[in-house]
Amino acid sequence: MLKATLRSFFAHKGRLALSALAVLLSVAFVSGSLIFSDTVNRTFDRLFASTSADVSIGPKEGISEAVPSGITPTVPAELADRVATVDGVAKTEVDVGVDNITIVDTHNESVGSTTGAPTIAVNWYESDRSPVELTDGRAPRGADEALLDADTADRKNVSIGDTLKILARPGSFEVEVVGIATFTTTNPGAALVFLDTETAQSKLLGDPGLATSIGVEAAPGVSDDELKRSVVAELGADYDVKTADEVAKSAAEELGGFLDIIKYVMLGFAGIACLVGVFLIVNTFSMLIAQRTRELGLMRALGADRRQVRRSVLTEALLLGLVGSTLGLAAGIGLAFGLIKLMGVFGMNLKSTEMVIGWATPVAAYVVGVGVTFVAAYLPARRAARVSPMAALADVEVSGFGRPLKVRAVVGVLVGAAGAAALIGCAVSEDTGNAASLLGLGIVLTLIATVIAGPLLVRPVIRVLGGAFPAVFGSVGRMSQRNALRNPRRTGATAAALMVGLALVGGLGVASASMTKSFDEQIDRTLGADFIVQNSNFLPFPEEVTRQVRAAEGAGLVVRQRYAPVELSLPDGKKVTSTAGAYEDQLDDVAKIVYTDGDTAAALALDHIAMDREFAEDHGVRIGTVLPVEFPARREARLTVGALTDQPGTSGPGTQGNLFIGFGTAEKYLPDGQDSALFVNAASGTSADTLRASLETALEPYPQVQVRDQADYKELIREQIAVLLYLVYALLGLAIVIAVLGVVNTLALSVVERTREIGLLRAIGLARRQLRRMIRLESVVIAVFGAVLGLALGLVWGLAAQRVLALQGMTALEIPWGTILIVVAGSVVVGLAAALLPALRASRMNVLAAIAHE
Amino acid sequence: MSTAKTASDTGPDQADQIAARARGLTKAYGSGETTVLALDSVDVDIIRGRFTAVMGPSGSGKSTLMHCLAGLDAVSAGQVWLGSTEITGLRDKELTRLRRDRIGFMFQAFNLLPTLTAAENITLPMDIAGRKPDAEWLERVIETLGLRDRLRHRPAQLSGGQQQRVACARALASRPELIFADEPTGNLDSRAGLEVLGFLREAVDELAQTVVMVTHDPGAAAHSDLVLFLGDGRIVDEMPDPTAEAVLERLKRFDTIRLPDAPRRTQAHETPES
Repeated sequence: MLKATLRSFFAHKGRLALSALAVLLSVAFVSGSLIFSDTVNRTFDRLFASTSADVSIGPKEGISEAVPSGITPTVPAELADRVATVDGVAKTEVDVGVDNITIVDTHNESVGSTTGAPTIAVNWYESDRSPVELTDGRAPRGADEALLDADTADRKNVSIGDTLKILARPGSFEVEVVGIATFTTTNPGAALVFLDTETAQSKLLGDPGLATSIGVEAAPGVSDDELKRSVVAELGADYDVKTADEVAKSAAEELGGFLDIIKYVMLGFAGIACLVGVFLIVNTFSMLIAQRTRELGLMRALGADRRQVRRSVLTEALLLGLVGSTLGLAAGIGLAFGLIKLMGVFGMNLKSTEMVIGWATPVAAYVVGVGVTFVAAYLPARRAARVSPMAALADVEVSGFGRPLKVRAVVGVLVGAAGAAALIGCAVSEDTGNAASLLGLGIVLTLIATVIAGPLLVRPVIRVLGGAFPAVFGSVGRMSQRNALRNPRRTGATAAALMVGLALVGGLGVASASMTKSFDEQIDRTLGADFIVQNSNFLPFPEEVTRQVRAAEGAGLVVRQRYAPVELSLPDGKKVTSTAGAYEDQLDDVAKIVYTDGDTAAALALDHIAMDREFAEDHGVRIGTVLPVEFPARREARLTVGALTDQPGTSGPGTQGNLFIGFGTAEKYLPDGQDSALFVNAASGTSADTLRASLETALEPYPQVQVRDQADYKELIREQIAVLLYLVYALLGLAIVIAVLGVVNTLALSVVERTREIGLLRAIGLARRQLRRMIRLESVVIAVFGAVLGLALGLVWGLAAQRVLALQGMTALEIPWGTILIVVAGSVVVGLAAALLPALRASRMNVLAAIAHE
Repeated sequence: MSTAKTASDTGPDQADQIAARARGLTKAYGSGETTVLALDSVDVDIIRGRFTAVMGPSGSGKSTLMHCLAGLDAVSAGQVWLGSTEITGLRDKELTRLRRDRIGFMFQAFNLLPTLTAAENITLPMDIAGRKPDAEWLERVIETLGLRDRLRHRPAQLSGGQQQRVACARALASRPELIFADEPTGNLDSRAGLEVLGFLREAVDELAQTVVMVTHDPGAAAHSDLVLFLGDGRIVDEMPDPTAEAVLERLKRFDTIRLPDAPRRTQAHETPES
């Protein structure tokens, strides 16, 4: 029996190739992402562990900042001397490192990374822990000298002797590059400048008595933990004291957020590949079994029992899974290699020779690959086992034509009804949390229902879609339409792969279009300023910029905005971490805010706060309630609720409650904060164009900020939403690739199955061109069927998702008809592309072999 | 009268009476040592308006002869004409058009597209060509074959005999110059088989069609006007106005007796029975 199985596996290897490719893709994404994140983690663990001092003393960690306020937490530099006398301490160093700076060259162009990696300025001292070494020039001395890292110098063509300007919070200053420092370890992608310690303290932190941390080296024989205990005993609990391992761990965790995104994206890809791959494999096995009905019947007639038949099919699946997983693992290593190289392009120089392949990687690869194949082959295998021995004798029509779809209908309707109920529940729900979970449940259930009931929809939908075919394409059109209809299960499963991807696109398309429209409307309704000056990543900027804007010719009113990260202790006992906007008093002149209680003056008064009415009600807050509030750097305040708003506003993660406070309040509790936006109105008599030109001239030395009018601002917001969409489109691309493989697979196997039919058609005069067209049309009709089903499902999801967004204040609904039309047109292209090879194969078929009756 | 070309030569000038003609038709499979001659320099004329049967044992080349005459298979040597058109040397596109417009086919099994109704199957060659069927003729064919009630049925809803009748109607529908029937009764019980043969006979007698039928059933051959006997890739005998008994008798002698006047042109070559 095993021999027969192996023979059959190798006999059909061509037909199994596409299934193996689907397995390969899923496994490649799983193993590639695991290898990549293992490699990156190992690299950075090593980097941080080897470059951190034995023990570091830093400021006590306060609340985390979802939106940066621009402050740099510091410790007194004198701690270095104080700790130096502690037992077991060999040496202490003052460390200064800030990442809220911008470096520009003499042409006012930023030399920092363009890919979002930070620009960092640190103090220079010789140490065997330094991740860089001086490779050219000399160490910086005095206030106007600096070193630059070699990668940045290369990228931006900066050499020794050049002048750079550093835009730091206390003020900008010019330095001459006197040396180049080269990374001896992995360069995480940042741009680095090194200043001498005193310069760093005064020019970056604004006070020569401050440091961002103190590095402590242990005397010989003293362990890091012992040293930490001694340091804590000396300093008490006012500072954060961490060993090198702890520093490495928290640094890796910080970096981990970014790496996790890559990992989850890759796993998302793997998930889609698996899901879509399952359809492909189910179809392949179903068709192979349908084609081998006689062969299986013969085996049964010769005495093989059902279990043996089933096992034989599952063994084939196992082999397929093993082959696919092995190839996928190899492809995954290649993918990880490619990702590592790609990170190099973005400035993160990982060494691909140090690739880490943990034991979990091959295990996951084989579990996924073999698991997916096995699950997908299980139903076809059961069907194979049910083949009667009579099948060997009877001259039955291949493929399970008219088997009733009753079970599918019942299950599909039940699951679909449950899914619809969940989506309706989501649409009418008033609570965001409930609505979101109902949305998730509804999406999953309706997807399952559509996959199950897909074959039932084949007949009605394709009748309509292909309805014009006979009229337009004559008998060729009629035959292709009927061919697509003849096995609804097969057509349904083939189209399902495309459907899944396009449903996601449809849903996210509606959600993102609605979000964009909501933001647009909101900007129209609330923004009153002529121009906004801000950083495209919403990062804060030095006060110099504000001064330049105020002094710009034609600038009338300028209202500053800062972000204040806060943690509110609310009357209902909950603690909410959010970000409050801080505005100057003339807010009303640049924004339109709807108050239900109080007004702008009350909201912006010192030690007062304003918030969204609904948020306040949810947490038992009223006008006059006094709330304990914690600001960064552990500054605590008690703020009185001065106003409640009913803004058709949005609140993303980290900004719930639409909190805002007065500028004075922010300066009181966040004295080192930086402005993050300036709302500028033209002075009377100055046209917007004139003001824009004068602002742009004034801001030329500050490339980190840009001048935007309302339209530009909308565009900026749109781009933020679009980033999300690009990711989705990439996922979609993968789903489409696999779906195309699925259609190719189905058509190729159908062509084999219909050999005799094709031979007959050719014999009675169907030209090769017509035959190719027939297969192309069938392919197109399947692809469009998948697209229509997917988009319909996606639209329903999108409508439900929009209700959830509406609860968050994004009330506008927009259906991106343009995108939908493009997707449908695209599915026609997908169909045409998928039909290329099968059509060629069919048209090359030997007529005589096809009609031979022996 | 159709005839195997043995003695007298019929020139191309008599083409209007000849539906198909082959001269020196040779078909070889394989090359070198393993060459198998399926047809060995066959000369044959198929006369218009007649019902010709081609008989012979398995491997005698009767199906190959039909395939070559119908432009389904390329010849190794020799020439084939359909009417006055030489089809040897035509490209696939032209051959396809020729089959579509000028030849009708019936096969032993799998004659019909399962997805199309009987009516759609019948008009398929004309639909492919984008031509309108001659409604009056179509009516007559359908009437003659008694398919009026079956037109909207799918092949799966028809009996084997009914399916062959639909195939017959399709072959007749475009009023081709020549109809090739490859074992049209091979898959049928004797009653249904007789019915189909009757229709082919009627097609010749009443609709003035030309039919060439490959068969190994003497009873089927008895319905024809002329039987051509093939052996080892050559036409070895012919029998006008055959009866089943006479054909059977002739077949019995097949393995032992060779006709003296059947020239064996490639004496050196052993043609293995396949």
